[in-house]
Amino acid sequence: MRKNICELVRRELDELMLDETCSTAALGHLRECGACREFQEKQTKLRQIVGSLGTVAAPADFDFRLRARLANESSSAASSFSFLAGPVLRRGFAAVAVLVVFATGAYLVRNTLNRPGTSEQMAKQTPAVRETPKPPQETVTRNTQEPPKTMDVAVVQNKRSQGNRTGRAGLVAIRNRPLATKEFSSTGAEVIGNAEPVGTSTPFSIDASSLQYFRVSVDDGRGNAKTISVPTISFGSQRLMQNANQFAPKRVW
Amino acid sequence: MNTLTTIDELGFAPALQQDVLEDTTSDHALLEATRNGDQDAFAELVSRYRNQITSYIYRMTNDYDGAVDLAQETFVRVYRAADRYQRSYAFSTYIYRIATNLAISELRKRKRRKLVSLTGFFQQSDGGEPKEFNPPDARPLQDSDLVDTERRNAVQRAIGTLPEKYRAPLILRDVDGRSYDEIAKILETSEGTVKSRISRARGFLREKMHAYL
Repeated sequence: MRKNICELVRRELDELMLDETCSTAALGHLRECGACREFQEKQTKLRQIVGSLGTVAAPADFDFRLRARLANESSSAASSFSFLAGPVLRRGFAAVAVLVVFATGAYLVRNTLNRPGTSEQMAKQTPAVRETPKPPQETVTRNTQEPPKTMDVAVVQNKRSQGNRTGRAGLVAIRNRPLATKEFSSTGAEVIGNAEPVGTSTPFSIDASSLQYFRVSVDDGRGNAKTISVPTISFGSQRLMQNANQFAPKRVW
Repeated sequence: MNTLTTIDELGFAPALQQDVLEDTTSDHALLEATRNGDQDAFAELVSRYRNQITSYIYRMTNDYDGAVDLAQETFVRVYRAADRYQRSYAFSTYIYRIATNLAISELRKRKRRKLVSLTGFFQQSDGGEPKEFNPPDARPLQDSDLVDTERRNAVQRAIGTLPEKYRAPLILRDVDGRSYDEIAKILETSEGTVKSRISRARGFLREKMHAYL
């Protein structure tokens, strides 16, 4: 209990300013408690010593140095701004150069992707072949026994140009090759007879310079000519390669 | 009036309000003039606070040249931030807060650099930061002035060994004579924390200064 009172009194003494007087209760306790009295004496002495430290004066040239410092800072700020102008311009040029490089790269990549040179692109372009009219597909399928309908015309062309070279490798090779068509409607198509299998017919030359659609007439042996018509193949951006067979192996269209 | 509202918000004791009102009003006016490009107004502010700030930082860092540099840095910051200054606090609180932050920052830098006193130091028993060991000179002194000087030096050294969180409130209270409320605002902490830290700081000092008490 007494310890509690001592703590309270000491706290009160601690919080007082030096020139302030403590409460009556605290004074009464101080008269009775020697430890607290000693604490008060030491505390007062300590605070007097600390308080005697007083104020240290700033040097006489404090204002002058401060003005010089402010002037120096403002001038260095201005000069650093002008110094920044160079790097800013340089950074601007660098950014523009990077943009130009990226734009050029993007343009080249886009052009490369639009070229019908890869199998993926050819696979994407096969839906154009799918638009082949139905009756001719049935005719060719019956003759060649090749399952993929979309490759019917290609099979005919391949077999004409390569003779007995058939099989999946040949199909892939054809698929990888750019196609070109020729308009035969004005000159009349070559008639492929029933007795002559499609794969064994002699190759005929195709003028790849013409960009018209491809049409083949097939004779069913009863005097009826079935016509296969392949519409103009588009390659995304509606461009056809003029020299389509320049990438083809030798003697292969 | 704006200033009256500000002073009311600060919650100073009525006896203190009038003094603070006069001071802060003129300080605010000077800073306002500084903001408008009046260099003389800023010079007046500097002349009012240069000694207080230099002294306060010196008590904190125990390095006069460094204290002068930091005091100048304090005024530079006040000048730079004159446009952003808000009158929600007394100017003295504002400038002391800047000075305190700079001083504490300097003390931490020193700690990182591990600047050690040539007199050595020992680790505090409660795991606190290292304390400089400054045994009192027991030789008899010839003159009472010398005694006072020696005592002041001893107490300055002892304050310098206090952890920074105890040092700042002790100096603000016992050297500068500021109120708990103002100290709490300067240090951005509660009044209770300030009281507790001051009490602990005095306890440390009593231990160190027992030869002089």
